[in-house]
Amino acid sequence: MISFRSNTRLYQTLAAKAYARNIQYRGSHLLHNFASAAFGYLYACIWIGLGRDHSLGDYGTIGMLHYITFTQTSLWVASFTTMGLGIPQSVRTGQIALDLMRPVHLFAHLMAKEWGQIAYQFLYKSIPIYIVMQLALGLTPIDGGRTLPLALTALAGAAYMAICMNYMMGISALWTTESSWLYWGNQALMNLLAGFFIPLEWLPGWLQTVAWASPYPFMLYAPTQFYLGKGDPVLLLGTLAWCAALTLLCMLSTKALRHKVEVQGG
Amino acid sequence: MNERRATDRQASLRNYIKLYLILIRTSVRSRMQYRFNFAFGTVLAAIIQLSEFLMIAIVLAKFGAVRGWTMHEVGYLFAVMTLAKTLYRTFGNEVHNLERYLVEGELDQLLTKPLPVLLSLLPRGFRIMFGEVIQGGAILAWSLGQMLHSGQISWWAIPQTIFAIVTGGVVLFAIGMATATCGFWTTRISMLQNMTEDAAQTAARYPLTLYPGWMSGLLLTAIPVGLVGYLPALYILRGELGLWVFPVLAAASCLVVLLALRFWKFGISKYQSTGS
Repeated sequence: MISFRSNTRLYQTLAAKAYARNIQYRGSHLLHNFASAAFGYLYACIWIGLGRDHSLGDYGTIGMLHYITFTQTSLWVASFTTMGLGIPQSVRTGQIALDLMRPVHLFAHLMAKEWGQIAYQFLYKSIPIYIVMQLALGLTPIDGGRTLPLALTALAGAAYMAICMNYMMGISALWTTESSWLYWGNQALMNLLAGFFIPLEWLPGWLQTVAWASPYPFMLYAPTQFYLGKGDPVLLLGTLAWCAALTLLCMLSTKALRHKVEVQGG
Repeated sequence: MNERRATDRQASLRNYIKLYLILIRTSVRSRMQYRFNFAFGTVLAAIIQLSEFLMIAIVLAKFGAVRGWTMHEVGYLFAVMTLAKTLYRTFGNEVHNLERYLVEGELDQLLTKPLPVLLSLLPRGFRIMFGEVIQGGAILAWSLGQMLHSGQISWWAIPQTIFAIVTGGVVLFAIGMATATCGFWTTRISMLQNMTEDAAQTAARYPLTLYPGWMSGLLLTAIPVGLVGYLPALYILRGELGLWVFPVLAAASCLVVLLALRFWKFGISKYQSTGS
């Protein structure tokens, strides 16, 4: 039986190594942030343009600029995680067989590495993009930053959900060579159902129902509502419930993976 | 002597085209070996495209119009951009993926072949993008149908739109190639592609009047994605500008692709392998 608890130091080391590997390229990644901030600025321009002709509900134009700034910033934690946690490449090279032989659970092993990646992305991508967009749009943190702790807690839950979803997408590589499409499909759903560009209450009723039946609103919309000071803390229970459900699904899919994997020579 | 040289050149061009078609056929055959994956990718691509359009449609359903542009007009901009991009990615996908060739040293193999690099590169990534064609075509048919029904446009809009999609595809290919060429110096180009391709194409799905003057100017000149849908739509849908838009589009797309080809030739002459 593989133990989760006894390997705490190993998981910490894996996360630290993933963080350290990324930090080698921080100069290049900081440049990359301009592209991401440009995207955010573009979406902000669309809301500024719309705000000239229409009232933007409870948010107002400034509220929507805050909204877009926070969702664009959060993407690097809740959405732009490693495609399939690297499982598709492991399947292609046969490395997956060795990974399954390790005395640590595959999910915990890959999750630990991904937490290192996410910590790096938060520090070197999310924070710089947040600062650039605040400066470019002339904003200041809402309520002097007092809404941030709750928003970041919800975002940490979103990061965990992103890890789980990527793990399951990665595992699909055992059945299809096109698992990358699942990643892009997931990104598209994040844009639509997580409220990346449009607050969920503006979606048509049927789409709101679909969205709230999925984990997506808890990945961007809920953290953003906390940031804007509009979120009900009860929303955190939803995050917690989805984290538990997705963990269970990850465990079940690992079982399916173990049955499916076969080694063909070397 | 000159006549013979011209005949030789024609013969070699014919051979290149023949070879290009054979390479495309090989590429399609290899993809069709995995039929389930092909169908799976096609369905997901259509869903991705649909969700992107839904995002725009929801904004328009909520607010009615964007800077005076109706939902059908914005749908038209979206569909023309989707189809032009599909055209570019169908034939020129490997230009977009050049970073992989540069990082993994695969370009060196192509350089040793007795063929122009572009000719051996382009057919490799040839793919039939049914998902995008179905989704872009459906939105285009819907928006044109509604505007034809209301009398806003005439049947002439259809050939004019096809022309805009073709010139748009050429413009996007030129932008993609110019961006990829920078990789001969920098090796990594994904960040640049985010700006010149992804962000620019997303911006051009909306009327350019939404953006500040400097940004719409940029999208019509330095990164001319505004020529793909917005400029032709001004004439085709709104009767602004004049018929001169079409010769201008043809000339501009030829010019940008020629400039991009010259830049590519210059860039490849400066290429230094990353080694292995």
